[in-house]
Amino acid sequence: MPRIPRAVVDEMVAHAREDLPDEACGMVHAKDGVPVAVHRVKNDAASPYRYEMNPLQMMRLESRRDSEGEKLFAIYHSHIASAARPSPTDVRMAFFPPGEVEREPAYPETMYILVSLASEPPDVRAYWIRQGGEVVEEPIEII
Amino acid sequence: MPVTVNVTSVIQKVVDGQREFAAEGATLGALIENIERAYPGFAGQIMDEQGEIRRFVNVYLNDEDVRYLGGKATPLKDGDTVSFLPALAGGM
Repeated sequence: MPRIPRAVVDEMVAHAREDLPDEACGMVHAKDGVPVAVHRVKNDAASPYRYEMNPLQMMRLESRRDSEGEKLFAIYHSHIASAARPSPTDVRMAFFPPGEVEREPAYPETMYILVSLASEPPDVRAYWIRQGGEVVEEPIEII
Repeated sequence: MPVTVNVTSVIQKVVDGQREFAAEGATLGALIENIERAYPGFAGQIMDEQGEIRRFVNVYLNDEDVRYLGGKATPLKDGDTVSFLPALAGGM
């Protein structure tokens, strides 16, 4: 079971709240398997219903991972009024080109974390999106 | 016209896992054709069946989106950096 420090979860929730009414998105980096940092990424879609991570920020984070020896632990985004579960759009977009679910996912080794603000306290859950489009929840332990 | 090419995530798979490499082309379109010759399958990742840049692929010349420059006709010069970045997106 992946263990996620409370500070990492709190930072994702804080980001989700601050970006209301729009969805918030970002990346969690890990070092030696331990989630160490939440990197907020600008939602270029600036929408309550969609997110599109700013590509240049994503590229800089990828470069940082290489230079710092970090891994992409999770891709997170918020749902402002729906459940903490990947939507059909989230699943479609986890593949490249979008919707080609019979391919390997674009980020096969990275979990998707959903932060739902539909309930109080917010619900934070992690999932794998597998080849074929299957969504599998990965229970997390907040430490 | 040597330019620096950056690619991320899934597109790295078709260029032997590289994140950065050098390639040539007087325009963006010519650059894509030249990369395709070296790494067959590259162009199919970037462009759709109509030969247009896929909606969910972002192409930047230095820090500018080529959609707001000249698309595939965008001229390139020595020392430019061209980045091919698949979108990471989703929604409710």
